[in-house]
Amino acid sequence: MRARTIIEPHHSRGDLFLTCDVVVVGSGAGGATVAATLAEAGHDVIVLEEGGHYTTEEYTANIPEMFGKILRDGGATVTFGRSPVPYLEAKCVGGTTVVNGGMCWRTPEKVLDEWGERGLDGLAAKRLDRHFSEVEETINARHQDPGSHGGVNDRFYEGATKLGWQLSRNRRNQVHCVGSNDCVTGCPSGAKQSTLYSWLPRFWAAGGRLHTHMRVQKILTRGGRATGVSGTLLDPYKKRRFTVRARAVVVSCGAVQTPLLLQRNKIGRDCGHVGQHFTIHPNVKVAALFDEPVDSLRGTHQAFQCTEFIDEGILLAPGAIPLAFMTALFPIFGQQLAEKLRRDHRYIATGGVLVDDFAEGYIKTLPFGIPLVRYDVTDVDQGKFIRAAARLAELYFAAGAREVYTAFHHHAVIESPDDIKKLYAHPPRVEDTEYFTAHLMGTCRMSADPKAGVVDPDGQLWDLPGLYLADASIMPGTIGVNPQVTIMALAHLVAERLSDRLGAGIGAHRVAMGRTRPASSASAA
Amino acid sequence: MKDFAFPGRLRRTARTLVAAMVPRWDDFDKDITEEVLDEVEGLIRQMPLFNQVGLSLMLTGLEFAGGPLTMDGVRPLSSLDHDRAVERIERLADHPIPQVRMLPMLLGTLISFSAYSREDVEAHMGLPRRAWRRDRRRLRDTLVQLDAGKRAAGQPAPPTPTPLGGEPHTTPETYLLFEGERAATAGADTRAEAG
Repeated sequence: MRARTIIEPHHSRGDLFLTCDVVVVGSGAGGATVAATLAEAGHDVIVLEEGGHYTTEEYTANIPEMFGKILRDGGATVTFGRSPVPYLEAKCVGGTTVVNGGMCWRTPEKVLDEWGERGLDGLAAKRLDRHFSEVEETINARHQDPGSHGGVNDRFYEGATKLGWQLSRNRRNQVHCVGSNDCVTGCPSGAKQSTLYSWLPRFWAAGGRLHTHMRVQKILTRGGRATGVSGTLLDPYKKRRFTVRARAVVVSCGAVQTPLLLQRNKIGRDCGHVGQHFTIHPNVKVAALFDEPVDSLRGTHQAFQCTEFIDEGILLAPGAIPLAFMTALFPIFGQQLAEKLRRDHRYIATGGVLVDDFAEGYIKTLPFGIPLVRYDVTDVDQGKFIRAAARLAELYFAAGAREVYTAFHHHAVIESPDDIKKLYAHPPRVEDTEYFTAHLMGTCRMSADPKAGVVDPDGQLWDLPGLYLADASIMPGTIGVNPQVTIMALAHLVAERLSDRLGAGIGAHRVAMGRTRPASSASAA
Repeated sequence: MKDFAFPGRLRRTARTLVAAMVPRWDDFDKDITEEVLDEVEGLIRQMPLFNQVGLSLMLTGLEFAGGPLTMDGVRPLSSLDHDRAVERIERLADHPIPQVRMLPMLLGTLISFSAYSREDVEAHMGLPRRAWRRDRRRLRDTLVQLDAGKRAAGQPAPPTPTPLGGEPHTTPETYLLFEGERAATAGADTRAEAG
């Protein structure tokens, strides 16, 4: 009988003691990529995931139910600061790739050049190209099918085209996205190629094992090396513990949970960078009311981005959202909100502006293990937000909008193109702005100098051999675009280098597996 | 706390808040307050203790400090009638102090997510999201089968974006329509061709 590949608490009894070559903590963009790459290279790999495993059939239209199942803390994750910023963090097999919008952008070359100037030669665009290609192939990063855009994206396209602004057509990790527009609660049609549909099937096919409901608490060390992890099995019926011994440990819990795990284990304290340099690529919403229906229900979440102002660190984007999320656009309640939405919901196009942030926050562990996620939007970034929102309002008016709604408290409605000037005349304060983000990065950054970061160019902790990080936390800085592909490319690089160190040449294994891509034993070193 | 539930007085405050925020229309005679309140409690149950305590404190703040903050007297929120409660909450949401505005807005998000993703509310607004999701799933299955058919016939796997092929489901023009609408469109096209 074939061994189980997804092991849930009820598949075992008592405390668990496991051994493997590599234990990977987390199954999202970073963890699944590392796990599949190492397993295909012939290593014995175990993935530990804190959340549960949910299939497409289990994604329902009940938003609170889904938030409770697949988001950390039921979706109530928020940074503290001048204005609180809610952020999205998943807790399920597939991680944040299950709930993201599926945008696939390579790291801009200008960013990679800057990282290269900091001594990270392995991250040069030319050297990462192979990793990007492997990632894009695996997750099927493609343009949308024709016809699947929907009115929200079409109005955005129309406005940008009329103004002559540069548009980029999004590549998304999808196969026949049919415009369900419910990405955030798990793609209901199975079109999105989250790691559940891309890296993890490769991992399982290569013999990998994935355990769900495993909360890692301790990183085990011996002789100054990481040798495994231990923690609690989240079995609803019984208190159980697990221990996994391994030749190497890879932590891929994301830019918030990874530094918290290190801090709780007092790892990396000497360098002073664990939990620092936290950037969030924040965004604010902008929406517009049109005379003709745009039908947000129908169409893909985001088919384009306007890159006209990318040099200023500004991205404009449409973003179709389900009705329940539309309620957050308006500071009204009860009957008034109900009447407004019944009358207008088919005519509202939603979008947002993303800003390449200058600010850096931090993540700390307070007494009793309470996490503190702190981020203050700076006045410099607020200036960008105001310019960006003004331009998106201009775009929507060019597309025929009757009025535009912003996330600025004192400028909630812009009634005409002339009104846009008021944003500059009376600039909204940070405290009067509602932000949101799903792009968290940089809290255990990679560096060429042990004093400047947490991990070395191979992804291994400067302070603790045998412990690797592979997620958004290792990004050396903010990237200004959706981070999914960058995370996977870095994770792929880390996996190959780890594989080389473990002694089973990944290139040789690929040849044995009949894969045609050239061997990569030299990696990007 | 996995068994979180609002205790006595706090539940009354929460009920008042939910009652003020759930959708109401003159032609929608269902009061969904209790059901939404249960759902909100269920969502809070998924949160860590720290958040549960924070939300309870926010509710307590709304109950007792809401009146003085809005110069609306000292009566607790839960003792106001529906219209007065709505009025106070709206004044809090428009308060000059940002931290005060946050209270009803954050709690309001939890309530609205629960209320506006309900099938009966969506149906009343003419928004068949559940049916749309089912329809999309069927359409995508058809597209995937078409791809498989092409591959089986020795044709190259279609690139994406792809000429969608396979009437009546998959032309760009009908791609975003419901099954019934697609059939109607296909029928009209056929009649136009015949004519």
